[in-house]
Amino acid sequence: MQKRGQRYFFLIMLPAFALLTLFIYYPIFQGAVIAFQRYTLFDLTSTPFIGLDNFKAIIRDINFPFFQILLNTVIWIGVSLVFQFVLGFALALLMRKPFRGRGLYSSLVFYPWALSGFAIGLVWAWVFNGQFGMINDILIRLGLIKMPIGFLSDPRYAMMSVLIANIWYGIPFFAIMLLAALQSVPEELMEAGKIDGAGPVRRLFSITIPYIKPTIISTTLLRTMWIMNFPDIIYAMTGGGPSNATNILATQMINKTLKFYDYGQGSAFGVIIMALLFSYAIFYLYLTSEKEELL
Amino acid sequence: MKRSLILLVAFTLLFSAAASAQTITLNMLEVITSPERTALLNTLIAEYEALNPNIKINLISPPYEQSDQKATLMLNTNQPLDIVEVRDYTVKQFVNNNKLTDLTPYFENWPGAQTLSPVADASARIVDGIPYLVPHGIFIKALFVRPDVLEKYGITEMPETVDELVEMCIQITDPAKNQYGFAWRGRGPTMKYSDLFASVYVKEVADAEFIYSEDEEFFLHPDYKKGMEAYIRLYKEGTPPDGVNWGFNEQVNGFVAGTTPFLIQDPDTIPLLNSMLGEDNYIVIPLPVGPHGFTVIDYGFGGWGIPSYSKYKDESWDFISWITSAEKNGYFAEHWGPLPVHTTTFEINDHFQGKHYQAYAYEMANPDVYLLKTYPLASPKWPAWSASHETDIQSVLLGTITLDQLLQKWHDYWTK
Repeated sequence: MQKRGQRYFFLIMLPAFALLTLFIYYPIFQGAVIAFQRYTLFDLTSTPFIGLDNFKAIIRDINFPFFQILLNTVIWIGVSLVFQFVLGFALALLMRKPFRGRGLYSSLVFYPWALSGFAIGLVWAWVFNGQFGMINDILIRLGLIKMPIGFLSDPRYAMMSVLIANIWYGIPFFAIMLLAALQSVPEELMEAGKIDGAGPVRRLFSITIPYIKPTIISTTLLRTMWIMNFPDIIYAMTGGGPSNATNILATQMINKTLKFYDYGQGSAFGVIIMALLFSYAIFYLYLTSEKEELL
Repeated sequence: MKRSLILLVAFTLLFSAAASAQTITLNMLEVITSPERTALLNTLIAEYEALNPNIKINLISPPYEQSDQKATLMLNTNQPLDIVEVRDYTVKQFVNNNKLTDLTPYFENWPGAQTLSPVADASARIVDGIPYLVPHGIFIKALFVRPDVLEKYGITEMPETVDELVEMCIQITDPAKNQYGFAWRGRGPTMKYSDLFASVYVKEVADAEFIYSEDEEFFLHPDYKKGMEAYIRLYKEGTPPDGVNWGFNEQVNGFVAGTTPFLIQDPDTIPLLNSMLGEDNYIVIPLPVGPHGFTVIDYGFGGWGIPSYSKYKDESWDFISWITSAEKNGYFAEHWGPLPVHTTTFEINDHFQGKHYQAYAYEMANPDVYLLKTYPLASPKWPAWSASHETDIQSVLLGTITLDQLLQKWHDYWTK
């Protein structure tokens, strides 16, 4: 009986697994193979295997220093994630209780999530424009600055500018997901907390957050992956510049494939991103599950 | 009986005639896609189909961002394709992969080949001197000027040399009034700008095959350095600091706003400026020349080629020769923006007799001063050059590397 059940299980899973293999695992495998070939659009008649040469070339590239790009990626993910999460969570808490116009307000809040990343990048590029940009205009009118600031052309401000755009874009995701989770927190628990004398802050940390922890873990994990794989805004605003100040792994992967026509090195970046995300996911899940056991 | 027999024979004949005139469908892929241009191509295709009822043309228009990849993919997997849009950046790659038909036999019997402008002919034969494409549009640069802005500063003479341009830009620059001189290009093909300043300083460039290449480059030449110094000075003293991040849109905006009354651009900027600024509010003049009396004109182009595996090469050629004829190409270029490919178009088309195109016509008619030179598009060093150059120029302007380091780096890039 047990054996038969298992066989059914595999039979039922088979179509889904076959489709996954065909459309996900096979392309990933193919892409990973290219990372070990000399594969440029320039000459597709010879694509020999060259071992780790693509990876070596990436790491030794003086025009696009690998470790600067890696550091940028960490900053890009870390800062985006923290602010998106905190602000998104705050919004979700505010929208938890019904109030007049909540429907309209929440649809306005969720709006950025419905836009294409590239379009958002183009809009923010104008907002931050160092000559005609809105922010410069406001700052000048307020008398805070005399000369416009080159937000996207000055390496000191460029990363901050793309981060602000990305944070703005990502807040709704956390707001939507956490709001849904918050609505599942039973009122009785909250009331019990109140009766036991817990203040709002204590209730938040002792009841709400533990209750929605699974959502928090999965959303932050998902967002980390998405932010790492989300070059759209940077690509539209600075193209990774000025002078690599905003270049991250994902933008450099695009650069290598679309501008350099070098699919080998592009795939090598893809493999690096995949390896980093994979190890991060395992580490993160391990870390969070262990804590759960301790509780 | 006899009558019905005749009728039967007549029907059979009619039927077989219809069968022999079976419709042929040609698959055509465009890559420089935009909604307006696709509509324009469809108009021309409809006109051709009306003239040739047995030909249907199926136009494939992938979004611009993916179009070159799509073309490469379709060609390399031998997907049904009879006409493919080829451009300066892709032609060598397609030829390397044996995907384009040598059009020499067609060119020999084509009257249009006689009227191709020298730059169009050079474009057709860019790879090994063999025509692999019929160009449909040429892009070369000229200088756009806002005389109304310059007048405020008492400038009425137009710059004829690079040095004059740099001085004028610096003269009118006043950051307090948000007035600058030059619409800088900081993102994209930045070498097309730095070379208009640096390469023209080097006398030897005039005799070189390319602006620079693996075989011959001038980065460590003292005069190249002088040109770069002038270019960097132009940025520091005559350009908005934000220029480092300027792409095409920002350049045009700076020009329209009057912040930067000098702009170097291709002819497809003209329709845009006419609608944003009005055609009487700016002028287009030939590019300024370097200290040795010449400038280099790097030309860009697009055109139509026939995939090497196409089954309908003759039919495809018939369409290509039609759509690139002086009349049709004039119509196409007028509504899209580049320069037409036949010298005769400038004579028969009112639009290209307009004042803003005279600078381009002048440049093409004076190849001793406006040297037509390309970058080494066939070099394996070429594809990565633009992105490297962009980063390097940004680094030197922002002061993270010195000019000498930059020039050494470029020298190494092309020679090692």
